[in-house]
Amino acid sequence: MPSLHELQRAFCAATLFEDRAALASLGITGGRVSPDAGIAVYRNNVLGNYRKALAATYPVVKRLVGAAFFDAAVDYFVRTFPSKSGDVNRYGSEFAMFLESYRPARGLVYLPDVARLEWAIDQAGIAADAPLLDLEALAAVPADKQGSLRFTLHPSVALIRSRYPILSLWRVNQAGHIGDQRVDLDEGADALLVMRGPAGVSIERIGEGEYVFLAALAEGAAIESASTRAAQCEPGFDLGDALRRHVTGQAIVAFSVFALPT
Amino acid sequence: MSASLPNTAGIGLRSPHMAQVRRQRPPAGWLEVHSENFFVDGGPALVALEAIRADYAVSLHGVGLSLGSADALEASHLAKLRRLADRIEPAVVSEHLCWGHVDGRHLNDLLPLPLTDEALSLICRRVDAVQAELKRTILVENVSAYLRFGCDAMAEWEFVAAVAARTGCKLLLDVNNIYVNAVNHGFDPRAYLSAIAGESVDEIHLAGFEASGTCLIDTHGARVAAPVWELYRESIERFGPKPTLIEWDTDIPPLEVLLDEAAKAQAILEARDAVAA
Repeated sequence: MPSLHELQRAFCAATLFEDRAALASLGITGGRVSPDAGIAVYRNNVLGNYRKALAATYPVVKRLVGAAFFDAAVDYFVRTFPSKSGDVNRYGSEFAMFLESYRPARGLVYLPDVARLEWAIDQAGIAADAPLLDLEALAAVPADKQGSLRFTLHPSVALIRSRYPILSLWRVNQAGHIGDQRVDLDEGADALLVMRGPAGVSIERIGEGEYVFLAALAEGAAIESASTRAAQCEPGFDLGDALRRHVTGQAIVAFSVFALPT
Repeated sequence: MSASLPNTAGIGLRSPHMAQVRRQRPPAGWLEVHSENFFVDGGPALVALEAIRADYAVSLHGVGLSLGSADALEASHLAKLRRLADRIEPAVVSEHLCWGHVDGRHLNDLLPLPLTDEALSLICRRVDAVQAELKRTILVENVSAYLRFGCDAMAEWEFVAAVAARTGCKLLLDVNNIYVNAVNHGFDPRAYLSAIAGESVDEIHLAGFEASGTCLIDTHGARVAAPVWELYRESIERFGPKPTLIEWDTDIPPLEVLLDEAAKAQAILEARDAVAA
């Protein structure tokens, strides 16, 4: 008689990987259906759950490749990137990475970045809430300390950069979209800010310099250093404008000032 | 002090109906949600659940704790459940008599346990651990099964009754699952009911199944079938009125369909009350 652990390991192998020896070792009995048919019900349920869960997270990827292609990709993904949580809502963070090396999707060069955008949108909806930035306290920071200000971004913020116009791809593949669905891949690169504000999850196209600036803030860089990096990337980068917009838009939610040792 | 659900019919609240329920406050006796759907750090879903909780008794029904996995219990999952229970203060917290992960891989499904002494002891230890962590009595639910194992040493109803007897937990009896298993494995569902102590049952689930060949599949995607209504009526006669839930998870219909099914369950509960009075 197999131990519980052995039985569960064999059940998993028989269900996901169609392992015949594992199926035989389970000693499935009686009932109205054969062992094969019984395990097939679980295979269908398990894969069906994942197809549904990932279709909810990645509706645009599914629309771009079609249902049959998507389902086959999910089935392969499930076998190669195991779910690590009992909460199926957490599953799928590695789907973009998977798509990069999934041979049948090789021609769809923009697909991994579209998946990245959809994961960011999904995660932004469930990220932690944050209190509003204390503007009075910020205004009270003395001028000589302002360069060493460090900002905290809203927990929902994700910054995504792609060589492809993924925002256009995403927009024309929304269920309610009317009109031309063609996107010219030469339309250009995208730098995007995804976050959840008071009105819900938003996606905003931002400048290259702004992207570098926000990414540096997210890493914990002080404002002076973040601003220098942004200006190196985009000479016209306007620090005042970027700060105003992201404080107003609530991408920036807190600050700290470190007194550097002299 | 322990909160409990009213002996009325409630509905399983899923995301497509969240906004409508919040707006209209339909006459459901109580509401049940899947715990994991609220394992979030923030955002509108939690806010909506808190708003709904202000007007309804809420049951947190887990689908991912995997009480019967030989792997260790997922501590972070239990911690999130505790955080959610502390925030929502649900009337009840329930989980399933099943397993879902092995060697670190989750299958995210309600998988069947062998009905052995080893599985029974393990699941009782797990129920004890969860009850200790949550500082409350939990409910555990019998699941549908599409196969059985040669190593089974007892009937399913003996296994289920023993979990309640040994741990002091309560049962969430899914009458549809009993019917599905009775058909799939060829037993008399009344034998199942007669093995269950009425005072151990704190909730009943009803849902629809679909036939696939000779096998019944518990899809939660249809109205409750006639023989399941009959078995439910017998359950209520036997156990007395119990909080009863209509569940629907696949091809979720308009809210009104769920409320209509709940009204049927409510009528059966009230008929029993009238007899008792």
